Amino acid sequence: MNTNLKISNVTKIYPGCVANDNVSLEFNSGKIYALLGENGAGKSTLVKILSGVIIPDEGKIYLNENNLKLNSPLDAKKNDIGMVFQHFNLFETLSVFENLIIDSGEQKEGLREKIDSIMRKYNFSIDLDIPVLNLSAGQKQKVEIIRCLIRSPKVLIMDEPTSVLTEQETSELFLSLKKFSEEGILIIYITHKLKEVMELCDEVAVMRRGKLVSVSEIKNENIESLANKMVGQNLKTIKKKKEKNSSDKLINITNLNFISEDPFETNLSDINFSVNRGECLGIAGISGNGQSELFQVLSGEIISDKNSIEFDKNYIGDLNPQERREYLMAFSPEDRLEQAAIPQMAIFENVALNNYKSSNFFNNGLINENKIKEHSKKIISDFNVNTDNIELKSQFLSGGNLQKLIIGRELITSPDLLICFNPTWGLDVGAINYIHETLIKINEQNKSIILISTDTDELLKLSDKISVIHKGKLSKIMDADEVTSEKLGILMGGGN
Amino acid sequence: MIIDVNFVGLIIASIMASAVPLILASCGELITERSGVLNLGVEGMMIIGAISGFALMTVTGSLIIAVFGAMLAGVLISTIFAFLTQTLITNHVATGLALTIFGIGISAMIGKNFVGIPGKEFPIIFEGLKDTIPLLSPILFGHSIVFYFAFALPFITSYFLKKTKIGLIVRAVGDSPESASNQGINVKLVRYACILYGGAMCGLAGAYLSMIYTPQWIENMTGGRGWIALALVVFSTWNPIKILIGAMIFGGLTIIQFHMQAIGVRIPVQFLTALPYIVTIIVLVVISRDSRKIRLSTPSSLGKSFYKDN
Repeated sequence: MNTNLKISNVTKIYPGCVANDNVSLEFNSGKIYALLGENGAGKSTLVKILSGVIIPDEGKIYLNENNLKLNSPLDAKKNDIGMVFQHFNLFETLSVFENLIIDSGEQKEGLREKIDSIMRKYNFSIDLDIPVLNLSAGQKQKVEIIRCLIRSPKVLIMDEPTSVLTEQETSELFLSLKKFSEEGILIIYITHKLKEVMELCDEVAVMRRGKLVSVSEIKNENIESLANKMVGQNLKTIKKKKEKNSSDKLINITNLNFISEDPFETNLSDINFSVNRGECLGIAGISGNGQSELFQVLSGEIISDKNSIEFDKNYIGDLNPQERREYLMAFSPEDRLEQAAIPQMAIFENVALNNYKSSNFFNNGLINENKIKEHSKKIISDFNVNTDNIELKSQFLSGGNLQKLIIGRELITSPDLLICFNPTWGLDVGAINYIHETLIKINEQNKSIILISTDTDELLKLSDKISVIHKGKLSKIMDADEVTSEKLGILMGGGN
Repeated sequence: MIIDVNFVGLIIASIMASAVPLILASCGELITERSGVLNLGVEGMMIIGAISGFALMTVTGSLIIAVFGAMLAGVLISTIFAFLTQTLITNHVATGLALTIFGIGISAMIGKNFVGIPGKEFPIIFEGLKDTIPLLSPILFGHSIVFYFAFALPFITSYFLKKTKIGLIVRAVGDSPESASNQGINVKLVRYACILYGGAMCGLAGAYLSMIYTPQWIENMTGGRGWIALALVVFSTWNPIKILIGAMIFGGLTIIQFHMQAIGVRIPVQFLTALPYIVTIIVLVVISRDSRKIRLSTPSSLGKSFYKDN
């Protein structure tokens, strides 16, 4: 049976922001639809309206000509609309089966059989009796999908499903989605990743600042055209000038080891590499292969043998991050809100937390607020952070603006080496472009970068040399011109 | 010297009797906490139950009215807590502490007229079987109905949480109220119900003290048992069966140290009095040190307010 879902003139207004401005869209089963937009474009609000989490101020939803009243997530479920949220809605301490039975009206034995048959059909393999917290992100997502499938939905909405998945898991997901679509489930796929849209979807709707800007078929679009629609201006394609770099070694790592007591961490074994001035070393790998440990060892959060890290002719392996900053190293950790900034503190306070020794932010133990604020304003204007209120709590900055602030805070002291870990994770195209431009600029100023990233395209775009980390071991270091994403993929999977 | 087995049986029975209020209050609080609500008002709810039970018994003369009245009083006072923390989103810790202070104060006020009045005898069941089996008879027979209920409660609670759908929903809400809400579960309703149930059990625990254990009203007669009950919940890692073990150890040591003091063992009295507290916590920590299991049974949202944003 065909499914037709119609959104008609939906408006949702929050104080100070129109999240959805008179949006009308129509979907038909048999196709995979992309809903594309930058962070804050209103796509998440729209799908939350479809799933009953948010009630719109105006507008109607029709499923097969029936006007739906979606006042709660339960209403959406009853009307066969399934939704997989970006942040999983699972109960971590309950078993997989308990997670699945909680909202289904079915009896235990019948449900178990049903789940088994779903898993067989789509080739999922998940142990139903272990707690969800023991599952990988990909498996958790499968549990969410199974939860929707139990109810045989007519519509399945996926909200940025690949942000936590590895490439392998992503391609598995795409296969399943295509299968669902063939079986007549209408699929709406929300993302800001253009490549995924091109690979998976049949039609694409682009949103910008709460408004629907275009609906078109994928075959009439390409990555550039979609990017421009999404951002609303023509994006420059940035390309790095590959020059012959100096051979002046800035940092040299020899025989670096790290053995963790935590069974969930990865041990690092026998890491050796060096980075020259003006060079960017990219470190690729599937997340969880020791990147986080490597970042911590390099930044001094984990202290290692003094002689294992030589920076600008000093041995600094036993120094903490603050001491390493004195030698003009700078760090941008992976998790912006957990590691790089304190979300409840104002922008200028977050700025003050850094470099507090070399700067004169403090006089005799008192905070020199004017000095800090002046400094913060400079960062905000130099690095294009989209706010002029430096007393704003940093949790209210968007991911892109927060990342610009963090990078700005690190770079304003003009360090010799910037070590960054997934600097553009979860950001929209505009912000990614800005960060990439900034990183290229650093290299042009003869400063160096170590870029640890799970985004292969980013690495190929920015790096001069690339190495792959797999199970805590680095591959040999290759010239970026000589590697392809296929080759990186093989190395990331542990091949040769 | 011949040890009278019936005497040993009586000591064990008295240990069990002293564990009853702890088991009742802990099992009630356990359900509350499993739904993610931290109610530090256990002591206050118990003392309200104690005075309500005793006063209703004296005034109406009916034990049934008194017992259920005490539970209802527990429910009413916990409704204040539920309204404040769930509807007005106040802080759980501060509200719970206030509830205890409120309960102690108001019970003393109401209790003024009941000081010195003798209590009524509470009927015991299986009295005729009391002398049938040596050692076991005094343990098994001749207790109040509340006693038997208390020793069944940990098993009922465990079954409820593990095997029933409502139990699963309670655990789900305690694990992640956001996810539960997105699944269409009414988080506030579940939490209200759990808080009120906890109040009823604390009320019953209080009534047991003032009507059965020591049938009289003494100001502040709960004497910190509410705090012990709270500690039992945490140190048992939210496991009802371990609450039973902890309550028995605590009750046992309290009784034994009395006897030791009476015999005149040369250990400082202060140390003996502190012994039950220390040993109970050490034992519970030792039997619950599997960090994986702690992670699985700790309600992740414990003490955190939940408000829906839309």
